[in-house]
Amino acid sequence: MSNSFKIAVSSTALSALKSRIESATFPDELDDAGWAYGVPLADMKRLVARWRDGFDWRQEEQKLNNELPQFTRDIEVDGFGSLNVHYVYKKSDRGTGIPLLFVHGWPGSFLESRKIIPLLTKGSGDSQCPVFDVVAISLPGFGFSEAPKKKGFSLSQYVEVSHKLMIALGYTEYVTQGGDLGSRVTAGIARRYGGMHSKAWHTNVLFSMPPENDDPSSYTASEKEGLARWQEFQRSGSGYFQLHSTKPQTLGYSLADSPVGLLAWIYEKLVSWSDNYPWTDDEVLTWVSIYWFSRAGPAASIRFYYEVAHSGQALGTKSSPPTIPMGCSLFPKELIRIPKSWYPGVGDVVFEAEHDKGGHFAAHEQPELLVGDLRKMFGKGGPVYGVVTGRDGYN
Amino acid sequence: MSSYKIDIPPTALSTLKSRLENAVFPDELEDSEWAYGAPLADIKRLVARWRDGFDWRHEEQKLNAELPQFTRDIEVDGFGTLNIHYVHKKSERGLGIPLLFVHGWPGSFLESRKIVPLLTAGSGDARLPVFDVVALSLPGFGFSEGPKKTGFSFTQYAEVSHKLMLALGYTEYVTQGGDWGASITKEIARRYGGEHSKAWHINLILAGPPETQDPSSYTAIEKDGLARLQEYKRSGNGYYRIQATKPQTLGYSLADSPVGLLAWIYEKLVNWTDAYLWTDDEVLTWVSIYWFSRAGPAASLRIYYEVERAGQGIGRTSDSHIPTTPLGFSHFPKELGRIPKAWYHLVGNVVFEVEHDSGGHFAAHEKPELLVGDLQKMFGKSGPAFGVVLGRNGYDG
Repeated sequence: MSNSFKIAVSSTALSALKSRIESATFPDELDDAGWAYGVPLADMKRLVARWRDGFDWRQEEQKLNNELPQFTRDIEVDGFGSLNVHYVYKKSDRGTGIPLLFVHGWPGSFLESRKIIPLLTKGSGDSQCPVFDVVAISLPGFGFSEAPKKKGFSLSQYVEVSHKLMIALGYTEYVTQGGDLGSRVTAGIARRYGGMHSKAWHTNVLFSMPPENDDPSSYTASEKEGLARWQEFQRSGSGYFQLHSTKPQTLGYSLADSPVGLLAWIYEKLVSWSDNYPWTDDEVLTWVSIYWFSRAGPAASIRFYYEVAHSGQALGTKSSPPTIPMGCSLFPKELIRIPKSWYPGVGDVVFEAEHDKGGHFAAHEQPELLVGDLRKMFGKGGPVYGVVTGRDGYN
Repeated sequence: MSSYKIDIPPTALSTLKSRLENAVFPDELEDSEWAYGAPLADIKRLVARWRDGFDWRHEEQKLNAELPQFTRDIEVDGFGTLNIHYVHKKSERGLGIPLLFVHGWPGSFLESRKIVPLLTAGSGDARLPVFDVVALSLPGFGFSEGPKKTGFSFTQYAEVSHKLMLALGYTEYVTQGGDWGASITKEIARRYGGEHSKAWHINLILAGPPETQDPSSYTAIEKDGLARLQEYKRSGNGYYRIQATKPQTLGYSLADSPVGLLAWIYEKLVNWTDAYLWTDDEVLTWVSIYWFSRAGPAASLRIYYEVERAGQGIGRTSDSHIPTTPLGFSHFPKELGRIPKAWYHLVGNVVFEVEHDSGGHFAAHEKPELLVGDLQKMFGKSGPAFGVVLGRNGYDG
């Protein structure tokens, strides 16, 4: 049974946050450090000042509640009991929407569905354009979903809870879209529930290991550049990943106790992973507030990395790719781009679109481009048109 | 040079108390113990003690009474003048061998606390050498000023350490170091060895691997040491990776949350030691030095970034110039890892080596008698480094 949900952060939580921010202590900064050592001090001071005075959470909360119809429902996860899961659910404005599950990653949230939902559910006014019923889940431990209490809640469980949500909403067949950790979850859904339930999957980040007979000399310039970006990411941008994957609790004490610390931890990624996206301060603060006010607290969300690393499902572990059709959208500032020759390791790519702008947070940075790709992939004339029985996105 | 006494202002103490009173804790997974990081029960207990009960003034007084401290300005090429805090205790008898003790992270001058009396007193046994001990707070740590510009790496840490010894009148000296102190004292041996640094002793030995290896020749202990190093890289170096790439981002957390800082450091104090029985007040004193540090806790992280950027980090392959200055090792089994004898030539000219069956990363704090015993053997009469410092051999006249 679902319950309607409205975000309603308590006033004690709001005043506690304000009070913490008012007593914030800042570190110093080296001369001319720029972004090299992490988030610049000036950015932090400006954002914190805004968060303290000016940023209006109540207003942001109201806007979110108006734009995104939200619900919660209990979902049973094998071995973990019942978890109360928060999600956005909007049906198409017309016709029979293709059921689409949108799965966020870290440091994302259901908020990343905000711009694409109106586009997906309304269509473009062009009757050739398919429409979707959109479900954007808050993964357990994120947003307003309950977190697991026990160890071992890994990809399999994220996959299970996501699938069960779609089933509970009456969608025996559905399609998925995911980036960051959401890409791994939707790949898992495609692998386990593909064919019978998940009919096609779309992602904006592809990862797989090179095939056995890999020939690096055949890579295009773009592909070489993409791999070089990945190496650079591993060299200088993946410290958070290594830490989350090994000592999330130790870091968690900082993120739970310091809104400034949490802000820096997330903001650094929002800027460095996006493609010159002109974040407004309030946009950043809304994003980070969701982590600060999250039901399970900010420390819970990073356990996902640890669990994946310790369940034999770490990135790079060989596993057979899903067989259902998949689509991908390539944005130039994504963290990794693999050569086409590696695609078979990811899945059965029937749709591919390449863009010349956009980064990691595709749904937020380039919603029209991402939705355009989904419409092409799933619409009439597209490679997976009509893949969901009886719900083809038209009347 | 000025005499120095630690004297944290009352506002800093009350601010800390207030932050602790408003601490917000995360939850914890059932039965997670130490696997995911420092356990919640430990952190809550430590925070409660820090808030009510832990008496910083009392600890401060003890430190000031035990460790004679000073500050002096030292010029560092390209970085201007830095005001350096250090402990300086001369031997109680005879001509103490000048010994510079260099800490690492999350260490501090505090790590010299237990070894200073043993080194300077010589345990009453006239056959044992005595030392004049200098334990500096590296720039950005303890009560030393931090550098303001980017690029302050081993070269600079070595320079400031060396200049301190010269300023104290020790043209010749020896060194002891662990953690970053091992690398910094290696740099001192490289730059100032022979003429100034006459011998060096370390308890963390990492270098290599060499171009050619024969793993079948490694002893069981060596294999275990390499395995421990592998495990460290697999599961224990997340802190290193973040500090070496985004120290500023992490720094906002550690500067703003004493709880976060406590967890960050306490996890290492426990994981890196050999069943050492930390008391809560011992931990809190250690962490308070970081919280109350002159440059703030974020500054201490930057050494990782600077060292990596200079290509001198833990992943470096080989050094261009291995010092020839005589080198001594003390091996403690719970150190983060160790390298096989076959790789020693990448570190230095080993003239002294001791194997212990207990102790970990913070050797001077965990096993002061063992560490000091090693130094006394290495530098004492009939030791391989006896008399290296002209006119100051650790005995009478």
